Amino acid sequence: MSSNRELTMRSYVGIGIGLMAIVGLEVILTLQHLPVRTLLTCLLCLASLEAFVAVMYFMHVKYEQPILFWTIYPAVLFVLIFLCYFFPDAFRMFSMRLLK
Amino acid sequence: MDHSELAVAQDGAPVEVLRREHGVLMEVDPYRIDKKKLGMWIFIISDACTFAAFLFAYGYMRIGAPVWGTPFGLSSIVNGVVMTAVLLSSSLTMLAAVRAAQTDNKNSAKKWLGATMLLGAIFAALHLREWVRLIDEGWRLFYNPTGGAAQFGATFFSVTGLHLTHVVTGVIALAFVTRGYNQGRYDQGHVETAGLYWHFVDLVWMFVFPLMYLMNAH
Repeated sequence: MSSNRELTMRSYVGIGIGLMAIVGLEVILTLQHLPVRTLLTCLLCLASLEAFVAVMYFMHVKYEQPILFWTIYPAVLFVLIFLCYFFPDAFRMFSMRLLK
Repeated sequence: MDHSELAVAQDGAPVEVLRREHGVLMEVDPYRIDKKKLGMWIFIISDACTFAAFLFAYGYMRIGAPVWGTPFGLSSIVNGVVMTAVLLSSSLTMLAAVRAAQTDNKNSAKKWLGATMLLGAIFAALHLREWVRLIDEGWRLFYNPTGGAAQFGATFFSVTGLHLTHVVTGVIALAFVTRGYNQGRYDQGHVETAGLYWHFVDLVWMFVFPLMYLMNAH
């Protein structure tokens, strides 16, 4: 993961164009009028891919010590997994009765 | 980064250390990055969790609501794509600024930082234009003019507003860093740390655009 060979500006521009291509793919998927859940899943997967590329290359995590990567990702994943658990639980609120 | 040397710990194990003033030995930081950058990373992690909570809440409401507001036509989507291109370009100019600062090319770094701020301002202007259009159509924080779920306005304006606040704050922060760097008060580490924040703002938009704009296109 950690490597001292940083990319050239030309490579960064290439990555930027690649990210814009993913955005174009997102727009094309949107215009297909997919069901909401399918579209949400596809868009989240593509956005996560974009974010991963941005973190690794633009934010230089690829060139830092691997321990930085292993500190950041599990922490964020841990929060996301907990959000997955706690948010559906919040919907119980709608079936609760107000107590006098 | 200072040069490290090997020392022997109390249990006899070799330890990599740095020699500080008065011969004080300090164990090498395992991250081996500037403290400013590490602080920024901790901030970014906490901020990412804040955005994640907002977007999760939105996602659940979006799926849960039988009728949801879909106010975005093709012109808004094109506007969103242009905004994405502007923000991605600003990330590239920021990378150029960091690279110039690393090679002590002050004039080039200032030029690229200026370009980044300009692109950030253009992004904010485009975003505000979209807001004004929605407000003109009657969308409010708690009102849906089409009669569907009222939460669309609340989620859209809060998530995009939070992101817009980050962009505006980033532009102001970059202005301070550029001024300090120009006066010699700040070094390339400050430029790098500011760059880290700017890339994070770009990264968040990669989630905000598909979830808030594309998911609500009619």
